[in-house]
This record gives sequence, C-alpha cells and structure tokens, in this order.
Amino acid sequence: MKNFYNILKKEIKELMTKQMIFGLVFMIAMFGIMANFMKGIREKDNELINLAVLDLDKSQYSKGILDKLSQQKTIEIAEITEIDIEKAIEQAKEKEAKVLLVVPENFGEDIKIKKRVDLELYSIIKRLSMKGMISDATINAIIGSINREISINFIQEAFPDKNPGDIISPLNIKEFVVVKDKMVSGNPVIIEGLVVSQSVMIPVILMMLIIYAGGTIVTSMVSEKENKTLETLLTLPVKRTSIVIGKMTGATVVALLMAGVFLGGFRYYMSSITPAIPSGKAILEDLGLTMTPLSYTLLGISLFLAILIALSISMILGMFAQSTKNAHIMNMPIVLLAMIPYVLLMFQDVEMLSLPMKIFLYAIPFAHPIIASKALIFQNYPIVLGGIAYMIIFAAVTMYVAIWLFNTDRVLTAKFSLKKLKIKRLKRK
Amino acid sequence: MNKATEVKDLIKDYGNFRALKGISFEVNQGEIFGLIGPNAAGKTTALRIISTLLQITSGEVKVFGYDVIKKADKVRERISYLPEEAGAYKNLSGKAYLEFMASFYSKDNEEKREIMERGIELAKLGKRLKGKVSTYSKGMSRRLLLARALMINPKLAILDEPTSGLDVIISQEIRGIIKDFVKKGTTVLLSSHNMLEVEFLCDRITLIDKGLILETGTPQGLKDKYNAKNIEEVFINAIR
Repeated sequence: MKNFYNILKKEIKELMTKQMIFGLVFMIAMFGIMANFMKGIREKDNELINLAVLDLDKSQYSKGILDKLSQQKTIEIAEITEIDIEKAIEQAKEKEAKVLLVVPENFGEDIKIKKRVDLELYSIIKRLSMKGMISDATINAIIGSINREISINFIQEAFPDKNPGDIISPLNIKEFVVVKDKMVSGNPVIIEGLVVSQSVMIPVILMMLIIYAGGTIVTSMVSEKENKTLETLLTLPVKRTSIVIGKMTGATVVALLMAGVFLGGFRYYMSSITPAIPSGKAILEDLGLTMTPLSYTLLGISLFLAILIALSISMILGMFAQSTKNAHIMNMPIVLLAMIPYVLLMFQDVEMLSLPMKIFLYAIPFAHPIIASKALIFQNYPIVLGGIAYMIIFAAVTMYVAIWLFNTDRVLTAKFSLKKLKIKRLKRK
Repeated sequence: MNKATEVKDLIKDYGNFRALKGISFEVNQGEIFGLIGPNAAGKTTALRIISTLLQITSGEVKVFGYDVIKKADKVRERISYLPEEAGAYKNLSGKAYLEFMASFYSKDNEEKREIMERGIELAKLGKRLKGKVSTYSKGMSRRLLLARALMINPKLAILDEPTSGLDVIISQEIRGIIKDFVKKGTTVLLSSHNMLEVEFLCDRITLIDKGLILETGTPQGLKDKYNAKNIEEVFINAIR
C-alpha cells in the first residue's frame, strides 16, 4: 500500500504541472465570461424599451394609441419635435432612444376607414456590440403593442359589451405533461433542463474524462520512456500491479479534478441560458423524473467503470507508443470510442436506433453511462445493470491484459510504427 | 565464495535476432565485475536480464541464489540498476527525486532520512539539489542518478556505462565514488566500452562481442595471457 501511495503521489506531482493548472484557471475564466455574456443577452431582452416617437398625425386617435403604449411598463416614450427625419433621428439619439417610430399623417383617419397604414421604425445602432444591438424581440414588442391597441379599439367599437381580450385570445390553454403513467399540470419546457442535463452534460463530462484521462496515461507512459525513467521504475522493489494501478489512479484523480472544474463551469454556463422555473423541481418529482440515491450510485458505478476501461486501454496503447507524437495517434481509438456514443446519443435515444446500430452501440463500453443517465430517470434498471455487468467484464479483461503486459518485457520492447504498417501494406499489394 | 550473480547458457532473442548466444559468467560478492565489449555486443541486454527487466529465451540467471524470472521480487529487493541513458522525473527537484526513490527502500522515516543523507552526500549537488531536474546538466543528472543507485546500499549495483558521455573530470569523480562504495560491501556489475576505464575499476572482467563471451579473468591475468599492454590490446587479440 505504501508503494502504491508513493507511485500515486509521484504521478499526481508529475501531472499537475503549471501548464495544467493554467489550463484549469483558463477554463473557469472562459465559462465565467460565456455565462456573463449569455446573461447579458437575456437581460437585454427584458430591459426597458426606450422608444422615440415622431407623431406627424397628431390626431386624437394617434395620441390615444401612444398614451396606451406609454402606460406599458416595458416601454418608455420620448416625444420627438423635429419634423425632418434626419433631425428627428439626431434628437432621438440625444434622448438615448434605440428606436424611432414615425406615425405618418392621416394615421387616425386611415385606420378608421380600415386602410392599411405604413409605419416607419428606425433602429438606431450606436455601437457594433451585442449590448448596442436592437433585438428582434424589441421591434416585435413595439409593433405587437400598437397592433393590439388598434385591435382593441376596433373590437370595442364593434362589440361594446364584450371583453376585447376574450376576442383577441379566445383560447385559454390548460397544459398537462404525461410521462409514462403519470400526469402533471404544466408546460413541457420544464423537461428541457432535464433533457439538457442528461443528453448534453453527462455525455460531455464523460467524454472529457475519458479523453483527458486516456491521454494522460498514454502521455505518462511515453514520458517515462522518453525521459528514460521507466527502466529504473521497473527495477524498484514494487509490484508491477502497484505501478499500473498507481498510474491509473493518478490519471483518474487529475481527470476527476478536470471534470469537476469543467462540470462546475458548465453548470454555471447552462444556468445562464436555461430558463429557471421555480415550480419545475416539484413537477419533475410528481412525474417521477428525479434521480434517487440508488440512481446516483448506479450512475457513479457506471461512470467509474467507463473511466477504468479507458485507462486500462490507454495503458495498453501507451506501452506501444514511443514518442509524444506517437502518443496522440495511440490515443485516437479512445477518442473515437468516446465520440461515437456521444454524437449518436446526443440527438437520439438508443431505443430509436436500428438493431445493428443498437448492437454496435452496446458493444462500446463508453456508451453505457450515457444510456444509464437517461434510463435511470425512468427507473429502467435492467438496462443499467446489464451495462454495468458488461463493463465489469470488459474492465476485468482490459485490466488483466494491462497488468500482464506490464509483468512481461513488452512494456519495454513493444513498439508501434506507422512506417512498418505502411511497408506491410505495400508488400501485400 | 557466495555468488552475487550466476549466468548459465543465457540466450536472448529479439524476434529473429539473437542478441545473446549462450553466455555464462559469475560475479563474486564484493567485487567490481566488468562486462566489456563494443557497441551492440549484448552488454545492455545481459544487464537488463539480470535486472529483471527482460525475459530470457533460454538459460538460467540467478542473483544471490534467486532466479530472476521466478523470484523477480526478491531480486529487485537486492539490486539497484542504473541504465546507460537513465533520466529522472523532470518536474521533480533532485531532492524530491531522491526522496521518492528512498521511500521504496525504507521501513520508517528514520531509515528514509539515513538513505536521503547518503544520497545527498553522494550527489554532491549542494543547493542545486532543490532545483528541478530539468535544469540540470548531463553531469549533474548522472551524479544524481548514481547517488540514487547507491544510496540504498544495494547488495548488487548494476551500472550500465556509468560514465558514458561525461567529461574526464566527472568520469573520474564517478569512478572514485564507485570504488569507494565497494569497500562498504556492495558488489558492482558494470558494463563499459571504455576499456581503459574498466582496467582501472574492475577486479575481474569478461570480454563480450556479438553475443558471445570471449574471455573472463582479472585485467592483469588477461594482459599476461595475451602479452598485451592494456585491455584494448587484449580485446583486439581475443576477437582475432
């Protein structure tokens, strides 16, 4: 145990370089910047619309409409006195308005005779930045408000005893969400956050972990060879199993740290773009769409086994790598095996795939935590337990091969050469 | 006399290439034994097998009576191997590297402290020992690695080309360290293609070329046998 701890400590010291810590800090900073940027855009959508109005009609009708607009909480109206359009724009700029609305002459008269009226809207862009831009939602809010006020006037004239709201929106929708045998009153948007978390977050974290941990162990093996430290390490009075497991644990610890930072940053970022619904948690609980402690345990086991398999395969591949350049090539199979289920399952459920694709996907061990993350929400335990059983066998075989190879001299003599492969192919031709 | 190493009819193949063609030799306890030969003679392969790094194709190798294949763990407890192009972990300081290595050979902190003291004394790197290994010159790295190999007081130190690529002054310094250390009871098995160096260092030598042993004996005995002025002449006469 002491020897294992020594190897582990050394591995972590070797892996936690300044560059690596800088990378972590950079990742946190990037997520923070992205989240604040997205928050800024969302806040912009909700901010007060500063609307400049040039009323060329000056009729009772136009005044009435503009009065109604000014009563809305989201719109603040600034009156423009300049009649010339260029001067009017300048005045709007002075009043810090982002939009200038020009109400044409005879506006009231034309509306009364049910003639379509041309309104002019000038978007005033001062800076080419997201903050300085005028969103589509702002324009639509202004046009929608004017249209609504005119429609209300028409309805009041035609049906003085009716509530105009009932005629404009005659449908009152009551929404329900049905999941399996459970039904809850609410909007399906509440499931959105859950889908994002299960279809995007878990696969992204898993993929990051597998690719990073796999790369770390291959690089660790290559640097032992390049720095000529492997031979010394192998002649120490330490069981080879301790060396293998020490290296794998070191890579896992660093990969978990990376994943933890990534997860924290990613969650912060997602919270800035996913609408928060206060009642969402209770609705999900009523629908039975929550992770129980058992679900979390099974997902944890599934993730752990996937990482273990990735590390074992990487350890085997690392034994064949001779240089850092070679290491990236050796890590490619791991990257591909992690990417395939990630891409396939991000947009589709495994049940929607054809049988050959299903078999192909089930054969990839890294697909199982992704499948489990969705299946556990629906308490579909057999598919999760089946995946775990498959991964235990897979992990046992790959770990056995890794330790066996470490116990032979192949760890020093095994080589992978692209040149040799090319020569063999040419000879076959 | 008890044998530190016994090599009998050792054959080692790398695929179709036979690196060792049935060599046999013995190393007595307390002596400096040299494997002498040109590049690609099979010296490093022999040392790697004795150090439990490589499997054997056929034959038998024992270190202090323990078979290097069947009892590799026992062998590793008794040896210390310094490969020809060995390196240290670049992100560690020299001191942290020695500490890491000492931790595998010590039962408690007191023993670890003793090993470390020996290592620091052998390395002779002063304050630079606290600097990162990546900043060391070749000579400094070699001194650190030799200190690592000897600080644990191994029963058998296996040194592959201990002065290879080093300047005259550092080479002499390292030879001095090895010679002094044997007096404390360590057996040394070393390889070199520098025949003048082994003449100065070794109690007994074996000449090896193309995977075969040509001669084994004391430097003086071999010089007398071949009526040669030095071991270089002995080697040239032996391969004729």
